[in-house]
Amino acid sequence: MMQCRPQHAGKARTSRAEQARAALASALVSLLAACTGSEEPAQSSNDSFQSFDPQVQRIVGGDPAIGRAIAAAYECGVCHVIPGIRGAHGIVGPPLTDFARRQYIGGIVPNHPTVLVRWVKDAPSIAPNTGMPSFDMTEDEARHVAAYLYTLR
Amino acid sequence: MSDTTYEGGIADTRARQQDTPVHLPNSTPRPEGELERLKQVWRAPRGFHFLSAVNNNYVGVWYVGAALLFFVLAGALALIIRTQLAQPEFRLIGHDLYNQLFTMHGTIMMFLFAVPMVEAMGVYLLPNMQAARDLPFPRLSAYAFWAYFIGGTAFFTSLFFGLAPNGGWFMYPPLTSYKYSPGINADFWLLGIGFIEISAIAGAIEIIVGILKTRAPGQSLDKLPIYSWAMLIFALMIVFAFPAIITATLLLEIERAFHWPFFIAEQGGDPLLWQHLFWFFGHPEVYVIFLPAAGMVSMMVPTMAQTPLSGYRLVVLAIIATGFLSFGLWVHHMFTTGLPTLSLNFFSAASMAVAIPSGIQVFAWISTIASGKLQMRTPTYFLLGFLFIFVLGGLTGVMVAVVPFDWQAHDTYFVVAHFHYVLIGGMVFPIFAAFYYWAPTASSRPLSETLGKWVFWLMFIGVNVTFFTMHITGLMGMPRRTYTYIAEMGWGTLNMISTLGSYMIGLGVLIFLVDLAKNFRPFRGENAGNVWNAGTLEWLPSENYQTRSIPIITSREPIWDQPNLAEDVKAGRYFLPGAQTGGRETIITSPIDARPQYILQLPGPSWPTVLAALFTACFFLGLTIKLYIPALVCGILAIAFVIWWLWGSDPGPAVDPEIDVGGGLVLPTYMTGSMSHSWWAMIVLILVTGTVFACLIFSYFFLWTVNPDIWPRSGEALPWFGWPIGAALLYVASSALIWFAGRRLSHVPERSSWPTRIALILAVPLILGAVSLEVLGQLSTEVRPTDSGYGAVVYMLSSFQGFFVTVLSVMALYTVARSLTGRLNRVRRSTFDNTHLFWHYGVAQGLVALVVVHIFPRLLG
Amino acid sequence: MRRSRFLAASLSCLTAAIGSISAASAQPSAILDRALMWIQSTMVTYGPSAGAIETLSWIMFIGGTLIFLLVLGLTAFAMFARPERRRWMTNRTFIISLGIVFPVVTLTALLIYGLILNRTIVTGEPPALRIEVVGERWWWRVHYVDAEGEIRLVSANEIRIPTGRPIEFVLKTQDVIHSFWVPSLAGKLDMIPGDVNVTRFSADRPGIYRGQCAEYCGEQHALMAFYVVAMPQAEFDAWYAVEAGPALEPTIPFIARGRELFIENGCGACHTVRGTPADGVIGPDLTHIGSRLSIAAGTYPNNIGTLAGWISSAQHLKPDNLMPSFGNLQGEELRAIAAYLESLK
Repeated sequence: MMQCRPQHAGKARTSRAEQARAALASALVSLLAACTGSEEPAQSSNDSFQSFDPQVQRIVGGDPAIGRAIAAAYECGVCHVIPGIRGAHGIVGPPLTDFARRQYIGGIVPNHPTVLVRWVKDAPSIAPNTGMPSFDMTEDEARHVAAYLYTLR
Repeated sequence: MSDTTYEGGIADTRARQQDTPVHLPNSTPRPEGELERLKQVWRAPRGFHFLSAVNNNYVGVWYVGAALLFFVLAGALALIIRTQLAQPEFRLIGHDLYNQLFTMHGTIMMFLFAVPMVEAMGVYLLPNMQAARDLPFPRLSAYAFWAYFIGGTAFFTSLFFGLAPNGGWFMYPPLTSYKYSPGINADFWLLGIGFIEISAIAGAIEIIVGILKTRAPGQSLDKLPIYSWAMLIFALMIVFAFPAIITATLLLEIERAFHWPFFIAEQGGDPLLWQHLFWFFGHPEVYVIFLPAAGMVSMMVPTMAQTPLSGYRLVVLAIIATGFLSFGLWVHHMFTTGLPTLSLNFFSAASMAVAIPSGIQVFAWISTIASGKLQMRTPTYFLLGFLFIFVLGGLTGVMVAVVPFDWQAHDTYFVVAHFHYVLIGGMVFPIFAAFYYWAPTASSRPLSETLGKWVFWLMFIGVNVTFFTMHITGLMGMPRRTYTYIAEMGWGTLNMISTLGSYMIGLGVLIFLVDLAKNFRPFRGENAGNVWNAGTLEWLPSENYQTRSIPIITSREPIWDQPNLAEDVKAGRYFLPGAQTGGRETIITSPIDARPQYILQLPGPSWPTVLAALFTACFFLGLTIKLYIPALVCGILAIAFVIWWLWGSDPGPAVDPEIDVGGGLVLPTYMTGSMSHSWWAMIVLILVTGTVFACLIFSYFFLWTVNPDIWPRSGEALPWFGWPIGAALLYVASSALIWFAGRRLSHVPERSSWPTRIALILAVPLILGAVSLEVLGQLSTEVRPTDSGYGAVVYMLSSFQGFFVTVLSVMALYTVARSLTGRLNRVRRSTFDNTHLFWHYGVAQGLVALVVVHIFPRLLG
Repeated sequence: MRRSRFLAASLSCLTAAIGSISAASAQPSAILDRALMWIQSTMVTYGPSAGAIETLSWIMFIGGTLIFLLVLGLTAFAMFARPERRRWMTNRTFIISLGIVFPVVTLTALLIYGLILNRTIVTGEPPALRIEVVGERWWWRVHYVDAEGEIRLVSANEIRIPTGRPIEFVLKTQDVIHSFWVPSLAGKLDMIPGDVNVTRFSADRPGIYRGQCAEYCGEQHALMAFYVVAMPQAEFDAWYAVEAGPALEPTIPFIARGRELFIENGCGACHTVRGTPADGVIGPDLTHIGSRLSIAAGTYPNNIGTLAGWISSAQHLKPDNLMPSFGNLQGEELRAIAAYLESLK
């Protein structure tokens, strides 16, 4: 999808070396994720999901489809690149591509479901220096959004 | 003259079926070597020199090819645009490139495809249809072609440097003026398009004179092919409409370069002045594109139905009415600018009225179909497709002519849908029908019927899928010229459908190109012949010299109505079966009833023409990219080559001053005065310049009505009255000298030609002095052109006159040079006559400008 | 009318449903309702002016379709009917009656209808409110003016009006030509340098109606939208009273810090926040930005996240707009400024 790409024109074009490094890093990360992810037990019995997908199941009561809509409505894409959301090509925060395979959230805390829900809603409470504001968002909304983020892999 | 055999009547074609001339002018067998000589004279140059060909059969085909190239290129741009819009917030291209692309798509389609294409078809078809050996000014059409092709290519390449214009195809200031468009992108548009318009006007002059003066004997106005009628009105519309855009681009370019505020509201200019001038051109432009296409349809429908056109005279009337009405509805592009209700209503009514002539033509075609039996061949498919699409576009056109509806639809995708229906329906489909229909006259092989039907269905379905959808997109509120839209607007699906449709059109055009590559074989000296069993003269057996002999015709469909015509023509039994003057030649006929008047000696291949076009293009390109020294050099070279090219024209009588073209009809080989083709061309040129001048005068009064406060109330800001009076006296004196020179030339040929020469030379400082007095007078006041709209327009009138007078001076000195080299005398005097006509016109124009600038403000008190 | 509106509404709903986020069937979150506020259609109308044009549109669409079918039918008849049955089509009477008489009659009728409609749309009762809208590259400056033309209230990109009463819009531009257009309420009218155009229209019922610039005005013409928010008179009066006042004073330290940073970073050179030293007039007035629906001229919904993202990457989000990206702020500073702006209700 074109809209998932980082910025096209402009100064922030990554060099070839950086791209290679990024590719290597993402390959390593995906290896790790493959090992850990498959062993992770299902944490929820949410029956709206027919297929068994451990990463999706990590958020109790989170519906990725609703989460995607909510992320789109908040326009999280103003700051982040988010696959699957139109116009989400922000360059303020980190891109959320492959988010399910990220080891850390914002490079600060381990990528763990309960942390992620809190981060989505109120990042400054975890990382006081972050530029990501705390949102006037319900707990459920944050869960949905987190569930969506775990579909990005 | 053997009048009785070919004198045209007004009666219906069918009634005159048997009225074929019984005694053909020339007897057979023809003398040995006559045909070989004719072939030899008209043979195209070989090898590299091929490019110097000027014959319409070559230039016309190149011209069509170049226009087709630009169609494909602009179409490719459209596909990029459509891909960008296929999904909301898509990021294929950024806003900057997108804005360049839509500007270039519109501009190229209008200025580099549509107008040149119809003009090119005219250059190619008209001499064929009128059984002339060529158009009267072959080198002018070659110049028009090369200038257009070189200039257009340079214009297109601006895209690759990111310098393409991005102000929209109608370039509204103030967005396109120096403040908001500081780059040279807008200059590419202004200079590039201004230049290409000049080429279009050159072509129009050629076409008008060609239609009026080079016809088959007997092809009186009531037997003129509808296509010729359409092209005549088309060319006249160019003559009156294009000067408006030339004036507008001139004013805007001067505003950008020198900051003369024609369109800057804070300084007493008005952005609406641009809109009036632009649309005074822009609306007739639509009919400029449509009329020739409709003319083609009126030629093709009768052939495909194998019956003469129903309501010939109604169709001619409709074409003329369209020409007139189209100048009265430009304001319908400005319904949302807040004009007074009364003028909105007037232009709304006029916009609806113009639907009537189109209705007449549509029902005339249907009636023709009903009279005959429609042959379902590829051109017929395109003709029916045209009818479908064009009628739908016409109906939405009536809708947007209703003012309140336009308030909603204006500048939305509804309008985009509407004009694509009208232009694709009204022009592209007829042109594709024409490609399939007329290819056999140019190519030794017709185009493929099978591939043609693929092309048709892909294009027809594609156009409807793409553009019908856009009506809905527009009604749902999507404005045009937006590089993206927000997903929540709900326009995504509709746009995706439009994009898929546009790919279908692209595929159709691609298959057409394959068909051309496989089957189109021009320049082989042979053609596929009358494959459709058509009735008009372009289907006579022809080669590079057109028809072997020039027929006398007595009907609108001579091949149908005059038995044995093709064979007699080919055998050389009609007029001018060889190259009687020893060079290229054609018969000039009278404008109304097409009686032969004289033999026009035509020029052959010419390099100066090509080089003049090349350097003219380089001059404008140099100006655009601000390389002033190279531009100046190119400009001088261009003028030099034009003079070299002209030097060979006005050849005087041939070796035999009179020639027997057959049947005892003896025609002179040279002619001056109002019968001559060059006199007609000069009159048309005067109409063009007169219209430019009228547009400037309009600008003066328009700016006055908008900002009367900045006009000088009384004498103090106006020059002293002595200045204009002095200028006027000098103008009149220069005119008197030219008049004297003319009298000397006519009446006292045996005596010295020095008085003529001296009068011509003396007239030059007088007329230059007149303009200088006017400029000095303005400089003596406080007013400067950069001050206000008033200053700008007053100095503009002087500058225009200054340019004009410079041209007149060059013409006078050129005439003197011809006299000194023995190329000017009592008989051979077309050059002088043209200078003479243009001079008096220039003086009249100067006097009118003086009256407007100096007397009008004083009348205001 | 009712039926036609239903047709049009269902058409646009259908396409909206396919193209937008309404895939989530039951709305589990209030934010999703706010994201669906984009009504911008000439065929879903909520005002007498646009309504009259909608009726006209339907009459013309139906009439046009009938004429189109007639022409197609005649063409098919001319092609396929037996020659003796189509002989009536071959003479001049056929061309004259269908090519001249028929269009003259129908077009005259249409013209008269158009003129009458034009008159009913243009004239009307005296306006309840006068609002001056100034086109800018690429946003909308909004002035509420009194009878003398004095500016009483400055806002941007959002026009709140009371329902049911005609509002006079005085349209101007600071730079290039723009066009003011709220399809669900009325047709468009251009904003032309040196000219002042005036139009009047009203909204039948409370709602949020989207408008968009309809004359190409350069780089970011595509992202130059605004909202007309129609509300009951009482609500409007309450809103107006708050809006006319100065900006709210921050009470929370973090937000107060945001205000300081706003001033320190020179935002006031372009923006005005009444009641603070910020008095710039180049950009939109931000005195009550927190109460607006959108930022960046209808491009993004207004929340603390989009505000922060816009401040730090305005040039990325809307390239070539006149606001620079502020990439120099610390994360916390960025949040503070965004929080301050969000607090300006």
